[in-house]
Amino acid sequence: MEEDNKPLLDSVRRGSYTDKGSTDSLDRGARRPFHVEHRNIVENDPSERVSAEASVLSSRVHYYSRLTAASDRLLSPPDHVIPCPEELYVYSPLGMAFKVTGGDGGAKNPSIITIFAIWNTMMGTSILSIPWGIKQAGFTLGIILLISMGLLTLYCCLRVLKSPKSIPYIDTSDWEFPDVCKYYFGKFGQWSSLLFSMVSLIGAMVVYWVLMSNFLFNTGKFIYNYAHNVSMSDTEFGTNGSERVICPFPDTGDHKGNCSSGISGLYLNNNNYYYYGNDTSDTAVFDRWWSKTNTIPFYLIILLLPLLNFRSASFFARFTFLGTISVVYLIILVTLKAIRLGFHLEFHWLESTQFYVPEFRLLFPQLTGVLTLAFFIHNCIITLMKSNKHQENNVRDLSVAYLLVGLTYLYVGVLIFAAFPSPPLSKDCIEPNFLDNFPSSDVLVFVARTCLLFQMTTVYPLLGYLVRVQMMSQVFGKHYPSFFHVFTLNIFIVGTGVCMAKYYPNIGSIIRYSGATCGLALVFVFPSLVHMISQKRRGELSWPSAIFHSLLIVLGVANVAGQFFM
Amino acid sequence: MSSTAMKKKVLLMGKSGSGKTSMRSIIFANYIARDTRRLGATIDVEHSHVRFLGNLVLNLWDCGGQDTFMENYFTSQRDNIFRNVEVLIYVFDVESRELEKDMHYYQSCLEAILQNSPDAKVFCLVHKMDLVQEDQRDLIFKEREEDLRRLSRPLACTCFRTSIWDETLYKAWSSIVYQLIPNVQQLETNLRNFAQIIEADEVLLFERATFLVISHYQCKEQRDAHRFEKISNIIKQFKLSCSKLAASFQSMEVRNSNFAAFIDVFTSNTYVMVIMSDPSIPSAATLINIRNARKHFEKLERLDGPKHSLTMRMR
Repeated sequence: MEEDNKPLLDSVRRGSYTDKGSTDSLDRGARRPFHVEHRNIVENDPSERVSAEASVLSSRVHYYSRLTAASDRLLSPPDHVIPCPEELYVYSPLGMAFKVTGGDGGAKNPSIITIFAIWNTMMGTSILSIPWGIKQAGFTLGIILLISMGLLTLYCCLRVLKSPKSIPYIDTSDWEFPDVCKYYFGKFGQWSSLLFSMVSLIGAMVVYWVLMSNFLFNTGKFIYNYAHNVSMSDTEFGTNGSERVICPFPDTGDHKGNCSSGISGLYLNNNNYYYYGNDTSDTAVFDRWWSKTNTIPFYLIILLLPLLNFRSASFFARFTFLGTISVVYLIILVTLKAIRLGFHLEFHWLESTQFYVPEFRLLFPQLTGVLTLAFFIHNCIITLMKSNKHQENNVRDLSVAYLLVGLTYLYVGVLIFAAFPSPPLSKDCIEPNFLDNFPSSDVLVFVARTCLLFQMTTVYPLLGYLVRVQMMSQVFGKHYPSFFHVFTLNIFIVGTGVCMAKYYPNIGSIIRYSGATCGLALVFVFPSLVHMISQKRRGELSWPSAIFHSLLIVLGVANVAGQFFM
Repeated sequence: MSSTAMKKKVLLMGKSGSGKTSMRSIIFANYIARDTRRLGATIDVEHSHVRFLGNLVLNLWDCGGQDTFMENYFTSQRDNIFRNVEVLIYVFDVESRELEKDMHYYQSCLEAILQNSPDAKVFCLVHKMDLVQEDQRDLIFKEREEDLRRLSRPLACTCFRTSIWDETLYKAWSSIVYQLIPNVQQLETNLRNFAQIIEADEVLLFERATFLVISHYQCKEQRDAHRFEKISNIIKQFKLSCSKLAASFQSMEVRNSNFAAFIDVFTSNTYVMVIMSDPSIPSAATLINIRNARKHFEKLERLDGPKHSLTMRMR
């Protein structure tokens, strides 16, 4: 019987930590069982250090974990059941225990970090199309629309953010907006919110492919021209002088890839460079193999398709800082260009002149379409704001983030539009990708293109991963059903990108169509409907609110209709 | 207990997804295999094959027609299901959005019970209460309880609010088992005498299959109000470990300088746990006392035995 009572920890007990006060509470002569209940470990304090509820919950969790397989979450404690961090203790079998200080659960960030994260996520490639959008809507109308769309989308974003809170009886702490749609609209809501989310993601991926082809082309062109000392200034229509701005499509209004010119002897090849006759010189050979629409989209397949098939995208998530650097560099670039080019603004209110566009144009829906995607963050705002330390400041922080995003877009758009050298060139020349208005020999713009190219190469697999995860888990139930499934999906996405890059590389159109479509559901219709239904269920729906939100839905539909008719 | 006694049933019913399988697993220490968490409804009855309170078998049924196949099967098997029922435990999910439907199915079960086993005891569990905000729980439970009492007439139903994440589940099932033990008050008096004779600090009586505390005696105030559930969890975990080695748990002694605890088989339906705070009393003495008490308590149970089987044969 005596051997049974020998303490298991006897020899260790007499070791080095006898001088630490923490184990003094234990009776030296007593025999201690191996499992020490986390009560009187830390001090000789008779008061309870652990509440009874936490203690019995621990016992329950222990027991329930024996009843199911380790990976089965059927009997896992939900978040609302686990005691708050102040009641959690971590103790080692050697008898020391310490309290968990403050919650780690979800890495709480101060407001400034949250605002920055939202700004960083929202800043996409639509920044390149804002000057074109302002040009399409007219300068004054463009600025008015930018501010109004910003406010509208901010309001809808606030509705999305608050939507899980108004659901009674259910723990919605890990819900995203599609889950809210599923709650209110059933399967239809779940599938349609998934579908529209996919539209925005795949639209973004197609835009990325077109832009990457563009930037890769220009980068290669710059390097080739630099190495072979070829000057392009004779063949491109643009301003003269040190700060060259070009107009890639001077006569025609269309921006399609293939364009023909009737000037005899002059052939406009796919890169829109004039050359004489059947030029078989090195330049022509290079142009044939390094073509923005014919060959480069296919070269990109070799680079990007393998990256899309990676099982996990966490490697690419490390490079998000590149996006910030690119945007900041773009802002600096725009400022420098504006300083060097000066302002060229004339206000013609309704009529268009040779060099200027009216202040109010009928093509304004194109700008609203672009802005819907530019201000789109509604499918992940709930997750982003969950890690905000002071949740009561969510509305304020989101508004500040939208303000900063709006200011950035406004700055870039207005400066490029205003600085566009209008006497030789018409404002109508502003390209959907404003970097296209600078020749490939421009060093500053070359750096911008390279930065953006690199950044997009790292974001593209992330987007592909998001698409894959959402589609596969909804359709097949798991993230990676088999290599074949994932590969087929990737082929489809890449194929769409390549086709668009070859036949219709107008990113302005792609952005506005996909923006208006996904904005219809996720920005205008669903948040308004969800808000109205939840108010109605609580009996709080008033006439002004119903009219206002119905108006929002009508605006969303009009936005989409406007893309097709204008 | 005569072997010709027909097995009486404990029906555990409720809508699909209301938490019956989890509840059974927790109370009876059944391992839930992964595929049990199925996407469809329980098509057939799930027997637990646990000897619960002597001759009771636990049956699980999903109630709340998912499709016409389910409805037809249910109606055609109705008499079969509801015959020989000793206890009906009906589980309501508190966050269910179809209250009307739930009540409708509950009422059809009650009708079937009235027809086939009119003496059955009815218990209603309002489950998943942890999903309700704390300040609203009492209110919501009171509402449901009133509705259920009203709907259950002429049968009397006892309502409990439960959640697997607090002590309410254990207490509800302990109350249920308490009401099912045939001569429980007598057991309690005898238990007190037994405890005082052997000078125990505390004596607990557990139901054998579930380790739910049926009755207890303590001679002084104990600090931990949740000790019953904790002991039950510990022993059930130990039973799970034993069953992995194809061994069965019979008895246990835990001793240190401050106390000695003995857990042993007691009667055919029960286990006993004796806690002695005087370490000078040798284990053998306490074990002899428990052995002698066992004979006495078994006689107590057998006193009710013949009467019990007589009424069954007469039915």
